[in-house]
Amino acid sequence: MFISKSMTSKVITTHPRATLLEARDLLKAHNIRHLPVLGDDGRLAGIITDRDIRSALPAAFYRDDCPPPEGADFTQVTVGDVMTPDPMAISPQDTIEDALLQIQKMRVGAFPVVDDDGFLKGIISVRDLLRAFINVLGIEEPGTLLGIVVEEKVGQLKKIVDAITEENISFGSILVSRHWEADKRAVFAYLLTNSVGRIKRKLKELGFKLLDPMEWAMDRLPRHE
Amino acid sequence: MKRTGLLYDERFLKHLTGANHPEVPERLTAIYDGIRTRGLLDHLQVFPAQSAPRMWIETVHDRDYVDRFETACQDGSRTFESPDNQMCAETFEVALLAVGGILDVADRIVAGEIDNAFCAVRPPGHHAEKAKAMGFCYFNNVAVAATYLQTQWLIERVAIIDFDVHHGNGTQAIFEDDPTVFYYSIHQHPSFAYPGTGRAFEDGVQRGVGYTCNTTVLPGQGDDFYREAVEKDLRPAMTRFRPQVIIVSTGFDAHADDDMADVALSTAGYVWMIEEIMKLADTFADGKLISVLEGGYCLERLPELAADHVQALLQI
Repeated sequence: MFISKSMTSKVITTHPRATLLEARDLLKAHNIRHLPVLGDDGRLAGIITDRDIRSALPAAFYRDDCPPPEGADFTQVTVGDVMTPDPMAISPQDTIEDALLQIQKMRVGAFPVVDDDGFLKGIISVRDLLRAFINVLGIEEPGTLLGIVVEEKVGQLKKIVDAITEENISFGSILVSRHWEADKRAVFAYLLTNSVGRIKRKLKELGFKLLDPMEWAMDRLPRHE
Repeated sequence: MKRTGLLYDERFLKHLTGANHPEVPERLTAIYDGIRTRGLLDHLQVFPAQSAPRMWIETVHDRDYVDRFETACQDGSRTFESPDNQMCAETFEVALLAVGGILDVADRIVAGEIDNAFCAVRPPGHHAEKAKAMGFCYFNNVAVAATYLQTQWLIERVAIIDFDVHHGNGTQAIFEDDPTVFYYSIHQHPSFAYPGTGRAFEDGVQRGVGYTCNTTVLPGQGDDFYREAVEKDLRPAMTRFRPQVIIVSTGFDAHADDDMADVALSTAGYVWMIEEIMKLADTFADGKLISVLEGGYCLERLPELAADHVQALLQI
C-alpha cells in the first residue's frame, strides 16, 4: 500500500507572502487543518497548520470572520513568518505503514508528499490513514468479528481458514495479533456473514478457544517500548 | 385482555434456505407449536397471509431490485446477492406473502378489529435495504408496513422498535432522513456482531436527525442493561415522538441460549421488554402494536419465547 494510492492528491496550498488571515480563510473554507506552502519555484517551502495560525492570531480573531481592527499590525503577518520551513515530508513511494509509524513518532497530523525533485504530489493526513485502516479491517461491509485464541505454532491459522472456508463463508479481513499469554496468538477473523452459530461451534470442536470480547483489552498486551 | 391477532401461514415454510442454514422453517413451526401448546390459539384471531401487491413493496424497494429478486427465483438461483441469502424457487412468493400478511394485519388494527398482533413470518426483513438483500432478508417487512400505514391510512407518526440482537441496518437506512418514522434499535455492539452498523452516534441524517436511536449492548450483558436502556433511551424518545402506531421488530436471538450472538437476555427479560413496549403503545398509540418476527434461531427456546410474547400481547 503506497502513499501515492492513499494520499489526497488535490491539495489546497498557499505561498509564503499570503497573510495569515488568507490562510485562515482557506483552512476554514475547505475544512482542513494543514496547508503546504509552495515557493516561487513551485517546490515545497514549508507547512502551516491551523494551530500555527491560532497561536499567531488573537483567539477571538481566529474564530470570527470579523474584519481586522484598524491599525492592527498582525493582519500583515505572513504565512512565511509563521510556517514550519522545510517540513518532514514523505515520498509517494513510501508506504502507509511508513506513514503510520512516522506520524506516531513525530506527533504530527499530516505529511506533505513530495517527489525526488521537491515538488508537492499530495498530502497524507491522519484522516487518510484512518480511511485506509477502515478499508483494511473491512468493517464497512456487513459482517461479524470472531476472536479466536490459538497456540503459537505453525499451521493453526490454516486450520481456522479451512474450517471457515468449508462453511462457504468469505473473509472481510483476518488479523493475527499478540496475546497477553506469551505462547498464544489472537486471530481476528471478520466474516462476511450473519451465520456464525455453526462456525463458532465447529471451531470449539476443533479445540480452539473463542475469545471473550469482554476479556480482550489492548492494555493487557506486553508493551514494545 | 387485548384482542390479539396472529399472522401465521404454512406457506411461510416453503422458503427453503438449504443445508446448515440457521434461518429454517422449523423456527416457525417451533413458534407456532409453542403458542398452540400453551393453549393460546383459542384466544387469538389467526389470519392467513395474502400476497402483497407490488406497488406497496415498491414504496420502499426499487423496482429493479424487486425484478432482480423475482428473476433470480424464477431462474433457480440458490442465493440472492449475498451468500447469506440462500433461497429456493418459492422464496419470492413467500416474501410477498409475508409483507401482504402484515399489511392485512395493519388494516385490521387501524380498523379497530384487533388491538395488536404477532406476525410470525419468514423470511425476516430488517437487514433488507432499498435495493440490497442481506442477512437472510429480502423485503423489509416493517418498513413496507410503516410506509403503508402512512400512505394508505394517513397515519403521521410510526415508531419501529427493534430488539433483534442484530442492528436493523435496512430499516435505519430507509428511514434515517425521515422525521415521521422513529427507528429505535437495541442490539449487540456492532464491533462484535453482524452487520457492524447501529453505533450509538448514528442518530439520523438531515431532517431525520434525532429520529433514529441506537442502544448498543456489550457481549454478556442482559436484563439489567435492557431495563436501563428502556428508561434512558426508549421511553424518553417515545415520549417526545408520540407514535400513533408502534411496529416491533421482534428478534428472539438476544436470548442467552441463542448462539448467533453473545447477549444474555433471559426469557423473563423478553416478556418484560414487550410489556414495556405495550405500555408505550397504550400511552401514545391507543394500544396499536404490530409485532413482526425477525431473527431467533434457538429451536429449543423459541416455543416458550413466542408463547410468552403472545401471552403478553393478549394480557392474560
